[in-house]
Amino acid sequence: MYGGGYIFDEPNGKQLREEQQHDDPGKLSAFEERIARGEKIEPGDWMPAEYRRQLIRLIEQHAHSEIIGALPEGTWITRAPGFKRKLALIAKVQDEIGHGQLLYNAAETLGKSREAMINDLLSGKSKYSNVFNYPAKTWADVTVIGFLIDAAAIVNQVANAKGSYGPYCRALERICYEESFHLKQGHDAFIELATGTPEQKAMLQDALNRWWQPIMHFFGPPDKTSQHSEKLMQWKVKMASNDEMRNQFLDSYVPKIWELGLTLPDPLLRKNADTGRWEYTDPNWDEFFRVINGGGPCNAERLQVRKWAEEEGRWVRKALMNPAERRSLPVA
Amino acid sequence: MSNESLDPRVNRLKLGDASAVIKVEEGENWNVYEVFHQEKRGAHHEHVGCVHAPDPQLALVFAKEQFARRKKCVNLWVVRSADILAFDVEDEDMFANNLEKNYRDASGFKVMEKINKFKQSK
Amino acid sequence: MSSNAALTDLIIKMADDELVLGHRNSEWTGLGPVMEEDIAFSSMAQDKIGHAWALYRILHENLGGEDPDRFAFMRPESAFKCAHLVEMPNGGYDFSLIRHFLFDHAETVRYESLQDSSFEPFQLLSKKVKGELKYHTLHANAFIIQLSKASEEGYARMQTALNDTIALAAGIFEPSAAHEEELIAEKVYPGEKALYHRWLDRIYPVLVKASLNLPDMETITPVYGGRQGFHTTHLAPLLKEMGEVFNLDTEASW
Repeated sequence: MYGGGYIFDEPNGKQLREEQQHDDPGKLSAFEERIARGEKIEPGDWMPAEYRRQLIRLIEQHAHSEIIGALPEGTWITRAPGFKRKLALIAKVQDEIGHGQLLYNAAETLGKSREAMINDLLSGKSKYSNVFNYPAKTWADVTVIGFLIDAAAIVNQVANAKGSYGPYCRALERICYEESFHLKQGHDAFIELATGTPEQKAMLQDALNRWWQPIMHFFGPPDKTSQHSEKLMQWKVKMASNDEMRNQFLDSYVPKIWELGLTLPDPLLRKNADTGRWEYTDPNWDEFFRVINGGGPCNAERLQVRKWAEEEGRWVRKALMNPAERRSLPVA
Repeated sequence: MSNESLDPRVNRLKLGDASAVIKVEEGENWNVYEVFHQEKRGAHHEHVGCVHAPDPQLALVFAKEQFARRKKCVNLWVVRSADILAFDVEDEDMFANNLEKNYRDASGFKVMEKINKFKQSK
Repeated sequence: MSSNAALTDLIIKMADDELVLGHRNSEWTGLGPVMEEDIAFSSMAQDKIGHAWALYRILHENLGGEDPDRFAFMRPESAFKCAHLVEMPNGGYDFSLIRHFLFDHAETVRYESLQDSSFEPFQLLSKKVKGELKYHTLHANAFIIQLSKASEEGYARMQTALNDTIALAAGIFEPSAAHEEELIAEKVYPGEKALYHRWLDRIYPVLVKASLNLPDMETITPVYGGRQGFHTTHLAPLLKEMGEVFNLDTEASW
């Protein structure tokens, strides 16, 4: 599962952008031509400092989103109803950790160690997708996450998999393959409730109502308000605009929700037959930024739990550590 | 039992304070091993990614579940990333094919032309 | 052919062990000491739950047992026959690893013995799980040996966990007064006593490699009771939690 096509901006961005002005113009144009030709950039290649910085930030946040994303669904691991759901949920949460593993490796090829990334997550310096700061209150929430958040993630990841950085694309290829299992099992469990008893259906509708705004937030603020990202588009770091991806998601999935007789809590939601685009009530973006900045219902718990896991596992890691050994980052 | 989480698992943990400073030491996630995956007997081992592990044995143990829990696999190799030697990217020009070296290719030999010429000459 | 009662008793004991320990171990999913190990341990938890499911299906399909989901998620605590070992809360990773090591070797000798069981579904299942168990014990041995040899702390934790767990683990082999002789005579399996000795033969060399001391088994009192439906206080809440959603509506499809 991914968290969010929205790349959070760091306060020190300005300084690094200035650093980028020192990039060798000849190398920069060769780099940009390579990307324009559709070639991938590999770890050892020359790359602008800003490209490296943006990619580390993007991939790292994606990795954090995977391991934090394991927590809301993990909420129901011990309570999943029946063998098939129980096994599928454990396997799915396991995949999220696996995705985190692949993504941290991809980010490491750019020069930042896994440990440094974990520390930035724990200290709050580095963000993860906002959507995981909301609680999974009932079993129905798990099916909404498994179906719709994973669907949103796929829209995002399929776009990013066509990006320019080789290791990230390769990780995403594997991740997208596994996401198709997530989406399918999520959809299956979602349909089970939607077509089940009145109580099951009510449970699902309630979860859907609660998750709709976080889902609308998922792709980030509207294009008209977000910063220009032309350079990131040109470098194929960002592959589609926030609104573009949101529209694509609505187009694919709103009909799949409506066909089950469920409703969405937005009276304005409809597809404009003339423009072919979806219209909707703009979600509350103040709430979005409030949650990103730590004010969400689960921000504190998510980090507390991650900190617990790092502390609890430390003796295992330290016992087997071999500081004398020659270390290196992943090669590809 | 008082974390007030919705996750019963979490309520069984002794969580620390949210603002506690927890830092992971550099090297605590061990070393990096590249993983090569063989899909079926007779096929090449192909590079599929890497694992962090303290030694080759555990690298293999970890690689098995991270890279072969779904995909068909009959064998895996692991090797320390630090032990991989590769060319510099700048040396890509060494690999440029010299078109004059067609004596290495089947296309460099015009057998049919010679046969046809011989037949016509009869 | 053995009586259904004897076979049913054996299958329920095996399956309940696997379900409850798989459930316990799955609590680590997402919270493990390092991502790679998190993934490995989660797979092994899934395998255990999968084995339980397969056993309940054998019960359902061959011996007139209930639907596996209903059987697993609705039974009262007293109808469970798992050993106390698997009921214990996870504690730290040291306890979880030692429990995994001791249990998975016990599981391995048990399934190996079923390869030529007179009960055919056991033969098929033991062939199916052979590779999985080989991985589980490879993983467990590697961790036990490496952690014990790595540092003083690692060694102390492993030895303490072993001391605390060994009597519980010996309780896996609680014999059944009512059914054991019949199952042995009918060549369904070799009986708990034989498995117990095979198990000791398996774990002992690994412990030697790890320089860990196996407590004198003559002085250990195995923790029995689970096989007769007497459980620790940990099982009832575990089962309640596991069935929480399923039991909202046991007639519904989830």
